[in-house]
Amino acid sequence: MTIDLRKDFVDYAKSLDKASEDPNIKKALTRAVSSYRSTVAETLERFPHTAELAEEVRELKSQSIANLDKLLEQAMASVERNKGKAFYAKDHESALEIALGIIGTNKTVVKGKSMLGEELLLREYLEEHGNEVWETDLGEFILQLRKDRPMHIVSPSIHVPREQVAEVFSKFFGKEVPPDIAEEVKVVREFMREKYFTAEIGISGANVVAADTGAMVIIENEGNVRLSTGAPPVHIVIVGIEKIVPTFQEAMKVAEVTWRYAQYGIPGYVNIISGPSKTGDIEKVTTYGAHGPKEFYVIFVDNGRSEMAKQETFSEALHCLRCGGCMYECPVFQVTAGHFGHIYMGGIGTIWTAFVAGGMEKAAPMAYSCLRCGRCVERCPMSINVPAMVGELRKRSIYGE
Amino acid sequence: MTMKNKMPMVLDIISDNIIKHGNPLALKGSEAAAWAKGLDLPVKGELLFYTGGEYQMLPFIDSLVKTITHVDQGSKVFSVMMGVRNLIEKKTGINAEKIYASVLAKDKDRYNSVCLKAAKVLQGLGYEFCYAGNEELYSGALLYELGYLEDMREYVENVVEVVKKSGAKTIVCLSPHAAEVFKFVYPKMVEGFDFEIVTFVDLVWQRRDKLTKLQFPGAVVIHDSCRLARELGIHQELRDILDSLGVEVKEAPRNRDWTTCCGGPIKILFPELSHVIGSRRVNELKESGSEHILTSCPYCLSALEGGRAKGDSAIVEDLIEFLYRGVRA
Ligand code: SF4
Repeated sequence: MTIDLRKDFVDYAKSLDKASEDPNIKKALTRAVSSYRSTVAETLERFPHTAELAEEVRELKSQSIANLDKLLEQAMASVERNKGKAFYAKDHESALEIALGIIGTNKTVVKGKSMLGEELLLREYLEEHGNEVWETDLGEFILQLRKDRPMHIVSPSIHVPREQVAEVFSKFFGKEVPPDIAEEVKVVREFMREKYFTAEIGISGANVVAADTGAMVIIENEGNVRLSTGAPPVHIVIVGIEKIVPTFQEAMKVAEVTWRYAQYGIPGYVNIISGPSKTGDIEKVTTYGAHGPKEFYVIFVDNGRSEMAKQETFSEALHCLRCGGCMYECPVFQVTAGHFGHIYMGGIGTIWTAFVAGGMEKAAPMAYSCLRCGRCVERCPMSINVPAMVGELRKRSIYGE
Repeated sequence: MTMKNKMPMVLDIISDNIIKHGNPLALKGSEAAAWAKGLDLPVKGELLFYTGGEYQMLPFIDSLVKTITHVDQGSKVFSVMMGVRNLIEKKTGINAEKIYASVLAKDKDRYNSVCLKAAKVLQGLGYEFCYAGNEELYSGALLYELGYLEDMREYVENVVEVVKKSGAKTIVCLSPHAAEVFKFVYPKMVEGFDFEIVTFVDLVWQRRDKLTKLQFPGAVVIHDSCRLARELGIHQELRDILDSLGVEVKEAPRNRDWTTCCGGPIKILFPELSHVIGSRRVNELKESGSEHILTSCPYCLSALEGGRAKGDSAIVEDLIEFLYRGVRA
């Protein structure tokens, strides 16, 4: 079978060209890149052990990916032991079905930021099935209202300046919201507060999972994850199977390296959640659902990841911590933002696109827009050799898979 | 079931040209070797001077890119133009040879003479070398870049044959792209490919104490080529060479192994974006305080040259051109 990609290339080139002329992208990215560079430099200097720790994490991630099956089994058992419910979703559809099975319809859902959520188009799916879903991360909320898609994995609404935020907020809230960042933050805070406490379901991702304890580590700054995972009676974690590492101690190392390269000395909040809320205060009888959720579910999503793990050239792409550092250093990303992407972005995103979200049709044009200049490898705490993988993807797009 | 993709025509044509004509743009060997007339370089020797035709073809690539920027790559007209020497269809009303004819003589002269200048610089430093002349074949770096690895496997045999004929032990490459594939890709494809691979920069650096000081007013800024700096690890050498010439070097905000790409690698498929990236890099380099940009790679040279805004006072030169000032003096 032959797929004609020529039009895809032309359309993609047009979208890149258009993005590169967008003054908002230009302004926002210029600001973001220079702030990323200076904060990271400063943070790495302040915590000089980070580079070495990153090397250790690289090794442990590669061991973990090599033992994926075993770790998954162990992590699922740990979640169950903690009185949570663990699911394995082989693919996109089953992940959505499992989530819907837990949630049902006519529910209010508050959701934290998750690239996996984007991959699955989870919010859209739940909405289609009669639920009200709110993105609680400010950036994601802005995009939800704009019907827009993320332009960076850590700062999704990087391309939307305050004036445009004010515009969309004024329309949504039905009152004048001035283009003042503090005011903008405030209206969302007020609005969300009520949602947290009326929602039946909270959904979050996880940055790392410890197989031994079943602990989910979730890094955040806004506090929205605390509230979405703490207030509603049900908490669902959706997480890619590549996020599992053997032990709690190791999970902490991964977390530290992740936030450091995401330009934080220390993030505002690190949530560690391993089961439903419980108390034994009355007669030592364990009762679930004290202040937090009574029910706790974890959906481990594969969706192409274990296939990736089997392929020598590509398994390394699963080491990605989603710190977003490489994107700031990518000359193509710097002028096009998430337009160099399809859900997942930039060079590393090209590999993820090929395997988990979009397929070769979407990945091939992206692969050819990569300069293979190699600067992402310099930045990447995991030293992921993206240019080599892009080369291999190009080869596959020429000769077929 | 194997899935096959129909890829943009420009990829097929460039790879076809390399495989059939030994050059991405089907330049004739005699054209690519014209610069060496009068030098009487031997065809055999210890050290092989290798241009790969890369500097020589730069103006043609530019003219091609100018054409494709305005033509839909899926169209018939486009395929005809890209086929240039393979296929000329009169009916389309486009003279395929036009691309070649439209190249400015001054550009052709400039890029052709880079090879001559490189040869003279090396001779000035006392190096003796041989050159394959009309027979020299392109390294195939673009086959590697663009994903045509299986075709490359076959193609490199022709290149190796020519290279072996010289009897050389060492190959000196003007382009870091050629050096990269000779060093890292050929050994995996060709058994016993054990040539020592060096770049022009390496050889100059080894004899930098023989360089004569240049009376150069002002300072220069180095644009480190990605391949040279990150793949081949050559960046301090450039600074040392300029130091030996007595020329002050100003540094750009992003340099050495953190250098910013010139945008060149995506020029053929994404010409406009490539141009944006090139201009940004020119501006970044100018932040150093110098407007005299030196690089050491044919594609960087052409991409940065193209990235200069109209009327921009910046000067973009290859290190080879810069060093040649000393030869003339
Ligand atoms: S590829 Fe590396 S730098 Fe990029 S997001 Fe992943 S871990 Fe961070």
